[in-house]
Amino acid sequence: MNLGIRAILYSARKWKKTLLVFFLLLAITTLVLSGLAIADAQEEQAEEVRGTTGASFTVERNLSTGGWSNGSDGTYSTQEFISEDMIQEIASVDGIEGYDASFILMPFFYDETGKALPAKVYSFFTYGTINSEYSELFLSGKLEIVEGSHITDDIDNGIIISRELAEENGLEIGDTITGVCYPENNTPEVDMQLVGIFDVVADKDDQVNMYDASSYFDYSDYTFCSMGAMVQLVEGWGTDEIEEANFYVSDAAQLDSVIAEVQKISSINWNNFNITANDEVYQNISSALSDTGTLITTLIVVITAVSMVLIILILSMSIRSRKRETGILLAVGIAKPAVILQYVLETLLIAVVAFPLAYLSSKQVAGTLGTLFGKAAENVIVTPEHFMLVAIVGGVLLVAAVLVSSISTLRLKPKQILSQME
Amino acid sequence: MNLCKRACLYSIRKKGKTLTLLAFLLVMATLMLTCLSIQSATETANANIKKALLGYFTINAKTLENGIPEDTVSQILDVDGLSGRYTLRSYTYATYFDADGNLLEINTEGAAQVPEGYENAGRVVANSNSQEDSYFTDGGFEMVEGNPITTETGSQVLIHEKFAQRNGLSVGDTMLLGNVEDKDKTIPVTVAGIFTNTEEQDSIGMAPSYDLYDNIVFTDLSTASFLLYGTEGTTNVQYGDFYVNDPDELERIMTDVQELEGVDWESCTLTRYDNDYQNAKESLEGLQNIVFIAIAVVSVICFLVLALFLTLRLRGRIHETGVYLAMGISKGSVLLQYLLEVILVAAIALVISFGTSTAISHQIGSSLLSQVTSETYETVDLTGESDTAEEEPTEDLGLAEIEVAVSAEDYALVWAFGMVLCVASTALAAYPIMKMKPKSILSQMS
Repeated sequence: MNLGIRAILYSARKWKKTLLVFFLLLAITTLVLSGLAIADAQEEQAEEVRGTTGASFTVERNLSTGGWSNGSDGTYSTQEFISEDMIQEIASVDGIEGYDASFILMPFFYDETGKALPAKVYSFFTYGTINSEYSELFLSGKLEIVEGSHITDDIDNGIIISRELAEENGLEIGDTITGVCYPENNTPEVDMQLVGIFDVVADKDDQVNMYDASSYFDYSDYTFCSMGAMVQLVEGWGTDEIEEANFYVSDAAQLDSVIAEVQKISSINWNNFNITANDEVYQNISSALSDTGTLITTLIVVITAVSMVLIILILSMSIRSRKRETGILLAVGIAKPAVILQYVLETLLIAVVAFPLAYLSSKQVAGTLGTLFGKAAENVIVTPEHFMLVAIVGGVLLVAAVLVSSISTLRLKPKQILSQME
Repeated sequence: MNLCKRACLYSIRKKGKTLTLLAFLLVMATLMLTCLSIQSATETANANIKKALLGYFTINAKTLENGIPEDTVSQILDVDGLSGRYTLRSYTYATYFDADGNLLEINTEGAAQVPEGYENAGRVVANSNSQEDSYFTDGGFEMVEGNPITTETGSQVLIHEKFAQRNGLSVGDTMLLGNVEDKDKTIPVTVAGIFTNTEEQDSIGMAPSYDLYDNIVFTDLSTASFLLYGTEGTTNVQYGDFYVNDPDELERIMTDVQELEGVDWESCTLTRYDNDYQNAKESLEGLQNIVFIAIAVVSVICFLVLALFLTLRLRGRIHETGVYLAMGISKGSVLLQYLLEVILVAAIALVISFGTSTAISHQIGSSLLSQVTSETYETVDLTGESDTAEEEPTEDLGLAEIEVAVSAEDYALVWAFGMVLCVASTALAAYPIMKMKPKSILSQMS
């Protein structure tokens, strides 16, 4: 009888035992596969956490390398401004999630009937913005959009105002607001469409401020308008342009490498600009976050190691209980390698069925977890790579386990084996 | 032969089998205990993340006649859930005199106007730690000489470099701060340090004289309290920022604070600042869930494997069972013997597992810990050409040390579950064998 047939027959005859080993293998493999998937999910989740810390870098004019000139309102720097092309170029670097540039003016606004909107102070403190979502005031939660939407780079004449201003003047989303920067000088009139309304969350009453220009305006007199409209407001007037731009990265841990990448852009004369990294929040949590990562990874390593030990234990137990059979097989003249090969074959037969089933069952486990925990578990995905890894390592481990556990039996002569039987 | 003796003898005779079972149970128990200790460690790590996201609330008591009294501040600090990190702030204006009571000169160049009564006055900023004031953290102020103010008392001031030059003041000199309305109310202070601004004030031409950078003075809270409220010996403050451990509890803590007596909370504004946490909240919960998922999967599969293993073991003893029964030993005592064997081994395994899992946990803990201490944050200086990247020490956020250790509860839990499981799976596996008659058992033997 050839050893292949013998292996199959044994497995079929002792189907209960085969089934038990099969279930054990299935359970352990499912455990390891799920563990691997969880380890990957942890990576992604940690990356997501890092993404929420709002790590960014700021590009601003380097005033120390530029020249200075004197004008009617004092000394001003003649350093190169940040162009919109430059911003687009930086924003196209991999790993940058969003960006905004600001350019501040204090224009006057008129509604559709030509009535001037009343400002609490002289005029309105207006930010020219590309993506208002990434404006510091919105990111920090000081202001919050309650109606309409943010200004994005494809809106070229939008404006966002405060709820107070909108309500007092009966303005609604879609209304047209006309802005003029210096009415006494007949600067261009620019029509803008009201796209969003914000609410003031921060306590402006708090005196913690440095009495810079912005602090003399009430938050309700802050407005945000598209960069395009902003540029038109002062077309042909003055030298106001973009002085700084903020770029937000999707993974705070990559901030330094993204900055290095940005500094390689050759079309920008980096002598004229400074880059500053801002990732305070990430720095605060990074050690605790990496601790969590290490702990989860350790957990998975422990699980995998233990699983290996378990498989070896189970197989050695099942082989040891077949001492008598081994003795008989050897006694009837079957070569030792053939006996071992039969055992290996039996184990592999079970594994061939158990491994693919474990792949399916671990996917099932991941699916169930997905419905239980929602978003977090969606990341727990068992990939074919995981399966390949487990199948190969598992297969090698099984063979090794069978070999190791048969050694003690096979060292003996058939007579010794049979005589020491109970 | 009584069943205890039989159980012991079996375990001793079948050394190999007993050892395998012991190894198996030991590995399982160690796995469970290690997993549980890792889980509680990740909970600490998570709490650390929450704390490091610095959720806080600000009490604005500007409109109160007497601000927030010292007693109330200590009562607030006693509220459960505060991290102990806090900043107290007061802002006022004061007329500046030299030690002899002569008026000092302020800068008026670039001022929008010089308000009446403020010809020799400037803004007074008092902060628990002057280095943490927004002028220093965001406004680009830097110390040039002397030391920052870090105590609540001490009658000290920090003055601007230009103000010092203009009035010939230097560190260690004494000057007087006077109430702007009531000129007789003055307090002597010592110049503890001199600062300067590294960024230009962008509101030149818009700001009144007293808000100009040159005319600002930093002082301690008790001096400000004297100027604002006329208090002596006790310190009242206008604002307080109180940091919490868990931003999720901000709402509850703020309500608790507002229930404290002695302050007219109706006139105060309490604002919560937990934007960083709100941004990260969902992802953080995801991370926490992942740990939970891992533990859940491990526990379920561990139990499954254990049950299967015990079944496998018992099935190898069908023959033995038949012999026992044929010898007239009652089914109950045979079952009891099997249970006793397993329990005996399980007890030994559980005892040893405490040692092994503690050792493993300790190993994990020490490798984690060393990681935390060796991690120094490099603040890369990208601004200038100079390569002198200053290594700033990490801010001490008072995070809890992560300890990976087997807790008594976890240990008890594993004991209870382990025993129940051993008994249940042995009983379950023995059931089909026990149902059979000795004859049929022995005849179906291979």
